[in-house]
Amino acid sequence: MMYILEKKNVDQTLSEWSAKYEVYTPQKVEAYSQFLPFTESSELALNEPLNTRYPPKSLFLPQSEVMLKYNKRLNKFDEIKILPEKRIIFGIRPCDASAITLLDTVFDTDEYQDPYWTERRENTILVGLGCSEPPSTCFCTTVGYGPFNQDGLDALMTELDDVYVVEILSDKGQKLFSNFPASSKDQEQSVLNIQLKAKDLMEPAFETENLKQTLDQLFESDYWSEIAESCLGCGICTFLCPTCFCFDIVDEVQRNERIRNWDTCMFRIYSQEASGHNPRPTRAERTRQRLMHKYSYWLDHIDKIGCTGCGRCVRHCPVGLDIRAMLRAASNFEREVVNVG
Amino acid sequence: METRPKIALFQCKWCLYSQPDQNWVDNDLPSSMYLVKLPCTGRINPLYILNAAQGGADGIVISGCLPEKCHYKEGNLSALRQHEEFLNFLDYIGYERSRVRFVWLDLQDRGRIQKELADFEAEIAKLGKAKVLATRTNVSPGGQYA
Amino acid sequence: MPELTTELRKNIEQLLTDQVVDVVIAFKKADAPLRPQPAFFRNLEELEDLEYNGLCQNNLANYLTRYPHDTKIGIVVRGCESRSVNALIVEKQHPRENLYMIGIPCQGILDIRKIIKKTGEDVTGYSEDGDQVSVVYEGKEVNLQRSDLLHDSCLRCAHPNPVNADVLLGEPLPDGDPTIVRLAIEEFEALDRDERYAWFQKEAERCIRCYACREACPMCYCTECFVDHATPRWTESDISQAGTQAWHIIRAFHQAGRCTSCGACERACPMDIKMTYLTDKLNNDMLEVYQFETGMDDNTQPPFASFNLDDKNRFVI
Ligand code: SF4
Ligand code: SF4
Ligand code: SF4
Ligand code: SF4
Ligand code: SF4
Repeated sequence: MMYILEKKNVDQTLSEWSAKYEVYTPQKVEAYSQFLPFTESSELALNEPLNTRYPPKSLFLPQSEVMLKYNKRLNKFDEIKILPEKRIIFGIRPCDASAITLLDTVFDTDEYQDPYWTERRENTILVGLGCSEPPSTCFCTTVGYGPFNQDGLDALMTELDDVYVVEILSDKGQKLFSNFPASSKDQEQSVLNIQLKAKDLMEPAFETENLKQTLDQLFESDYWSEIAESCLGCGICTFLCPTCFCFDIVDEVQRNERIRNWDTCMFRIYSQEASGHNPRPTRAERTRQRLMHKYSYWLDHIDKIGCTGCGRCVRHCPVGLDIRAMLRAASNFEREVVNVG
Repeated sequence: METRPKIALFQCKWCLYSQPDQNWVDNDLPSSMYLVKLPCTGRINPLYILNAAQGGADGIVISGCLPEKCHYKEGNLSALRQHEEFLNFLDYIGYERSRVRFVWLDLQDRGRIQKELADFEAEIAKLGKAKVLATRTNVSPGGQYA
Repeated sequence: MPELTTELRKNIEQLLTDQVVDVVIAFKKADAPLRPQPAFFRNLEELEDLEYNGLCQNNLANYLTRYPHDTKIGIVVRGCESRSVNALIVEKQHPRENLYMIGIPCQGILDIRKIIKKTGEDVTGYSEDGDQVSVVYEGKEVNLQRSDLLHDSCLRCAHPNPVNADVLLGEPLPDGDPTIVRLAIEEFEALDRDERYAWFQKEAERCIRCYACREACPMCYCTECFVDHATPRWTESDISQAGTQAWHIIRAFHQAGRCTSCGACERACPMDIKMTYLTDKLNNDMLEVYQFETGMDDNTQPPFASFNLDDKNRFVI
C-alpha cells in the first residue's frame, strides 16, 4: 500500500503530528543539516543532496546521556525520564535507519537490553526518505545496503515531482499514514523506476568479497601505519558515523550525575590503561581498530558489514582520508605482499 | 540580591603575613565565601577561575604577594601576565571583568584582607548574580539531543 | 597551480636524491573530493602524486612533533606554517639544523564551506588557474573567483611570505594589511556584553568534542590534553554548556602567544564552528601588550613563558 504526501503539505502535516508526537526533521544549521525538533519556524532541509552531518543515532544514543542523578538533599536517586513523549523521526536516510538496526544487535539482545535504547526504539516511528540522486561520496550499495533500503523503517518516502510517495513498511507506519490519499498505479510504477535507477547510478566503490580475510591477514602488516600516517586521531569519522557506538561512563561529581558520553577508538586515551600502558600506542593501531571493527569484527558478530556506506567519514575527514581508498589499498597491499613472497 | 553573593577566594598561602589574618580566613570566613588555598598565585591555573565562575561564584578574589616578595621568586609575575590576559579574554566573550579582583598584599597590610573582601562583596552585590559562564546546571534528562 | 606543483616536485626530488632530508612533508592528491591529503615522501616514485593547490587546508607543521629529533625533515611551508615551525623550534620540538623549509609565498587557502555555499555540498571536481577556480557540481562546471573563496584567516593574513625558509619558490608577495584582523576584533568588541556572550554560546554549544581542532593544530602537541586528564578532572567531558564552553575558552587560551592564525582548527571542525575570533583576539593582545608576534624568528620566547621584573609596574595595589 502506498500513500501520497504532497510537498506543500509537509509543514502542515508535521505541525499536526507535533500535537501528539515530538517530531524530528533535518534542519539547516550553518552550511550543514542536522535533526532537530520541528517547530513552526524550522527551516527544513529535506531535499539536500547530502545526508545530515550529525548522525541521527544521537536520537537513540545521545552523545551525552544522563544515566543516574543523585539528589544529595533527599539522599536518593532522582527518577530519570528517558522519553517524555512518543516521537517521529521524519526524513531519515536509509543508511542511517539500517545503522540503527545494526545497533539493535548491540543494545537490545536476548541477553542484555539497554533500557535507554529500547525505550526510545519502542516509542519512535521512523519515516525514511530515499535518495533518488545518490551523491558521489556515498557507497551504500557496495556494502550491501542501498539508497532505498527498508531496514529499520516504518515508512519510506520517494520523491516524485511535487509529492512524496510513501511506502508503508510496518503497522506503526500504517497507522500514521492511513488517512492520507492513496497513490495511483502510475505513481507506483514511477517510484519503482526511480528506485532502480538510483541503485544503478552507484558504482561499486571497492571489492567486498574476501575483504574480511584480506584485512585479517594484514593485521600485523605495515599497511596500517602507511594509511594512517596523515591521520590526526580526531573524533570526526567515528562520532559522525551512524554505526559507531562506543561510549565512556563518567561521574560528573559536581552535578551529581552519571553520564554516558560517546567515545572513540581513534582517541589515544580510549585504550590507555591506568598503568600508563597503551595497547594501541599509535594512530596506526587505532585506524586498524576502526577499519577492522567495521569490516571484520562486525562480520564475526552478525555476519554483516558494520558500515552502511553513508559517506560521512569520507566527506568530513579533515585530512582527506577516504575509507573506500583505504580498503582498495588493503586489497592491493596484499597482492604486493603475495607477489614479493 | 536576597542572599549574599557567592565569593571564591584563591589565596596564596604565603601572602597573609599576619597570623590573625590567616586565622580569620581559615576559620571565620562568612559561609558565602569559599577558600581555596594554594602554594602560590602562580599555581592558579586559569581553569580554576573558570571553574569557579561556571560553578556559580558571583565574584572571585585572588590574593597574592607583591612583586619581588614571592616565596618562589617570580610565581606572581607569571601569574599576573596570565591572569590579566585571561580576564581580558573572558571579558571579550562577555564575562564581567569586575567580578574578579586581585589583592596583592604586603607585610604591613595587616587587616586588609577583611576590608578588601567586604568592599568587594558590596560591589558584587550591586552587580547581582552572575549569569555569564555560570553554566554548571544539570543536563536535561536523557541528554542534549534526546 | 600546476607550474608550482612541478617546481615543488623538482625541488623535493633534489632534496631526496641528495639525501639532504629523510622525509618531505607535503600534500598529495586524495580520492575525497576537495581534500588533498598531507603526505610523507621518502622516495622518488611516490612524488607522482604530489599536489599543491588552494585546497591544501592543513597546517603541515602539525606533523613535525611526530618525528624523533634526529630525523631530517623537509617541509613545505606557507607563511603561517613557517611561523608555526619557528614557534615549534622555540619550544624545542625539533632542532633547526634538522629542518629544511621549502617556502611558498602564499596566495591563501580556500574555504570548502564557501565553495559549497555557492554550489551545493556534493562537489566532485576542482581546478584553479590564477584567480579563476572551477569546480564540478552535478556534472557541470561552475566558475568562481578565488578571492571570494578565501578562508577568513587568509583574508586577514598579515604575513603570507614564509619566514626563515631555506628556499623560496616564487616571488615574495606584498605583506597583508595588519589592520584587517584588528577590524574584525573591534567589530566583535563593539557588540554589547550579552550579544558577545550569545555569539560565543551559539558557537561553543554546537561542539561535539571530536577534538579535530586540537589535532589539526601544530601547537597542540601535549601528550595529555587538559580535557583528557582523568584524575583530577579539570572540566566536564560531556557536551553540556559548561563542558563545551570550558573546552573552547581554555583551548584558545593555551594558544596565546603560540597561535599563528593559520585557521587550520576552524577548517577541520565538522560543525562549522568559528574559533579564530578567539585566537585572533589573544594574538592581537600579545602584539599590543608585549609587541610579540608568534614565529617571526626562531628564538624569542612567547610572553607567557617569559616574564620580568618590569612587569611590577603593572601590579595595581
Ligand atoms: S564507516 Fe563511514 S561510510 Fe560507513 S557508516 Fe560509518 S561513517 Fe558511514
Ligand atoms: S569503529 Fe571504533 S568507535 Fe566505532 S564502534 Fe568500533 S571501536 Fe567503537
Ligand atoms: S576523521 Fe580522518 S583524521 Fe580524524 S580520526 Fe578519522 S581518519 Fe583520522
Ligand atoms: S594565513 Fe592563509 S594566507 Fe596567510 S600564510 Fe597562512 S595560509 Fe597563507
Ligand atoms: S573541531 Fe569543532 S566540534 Fe570538534 S572539538 Fe573542535 S570545535 Fe568542537
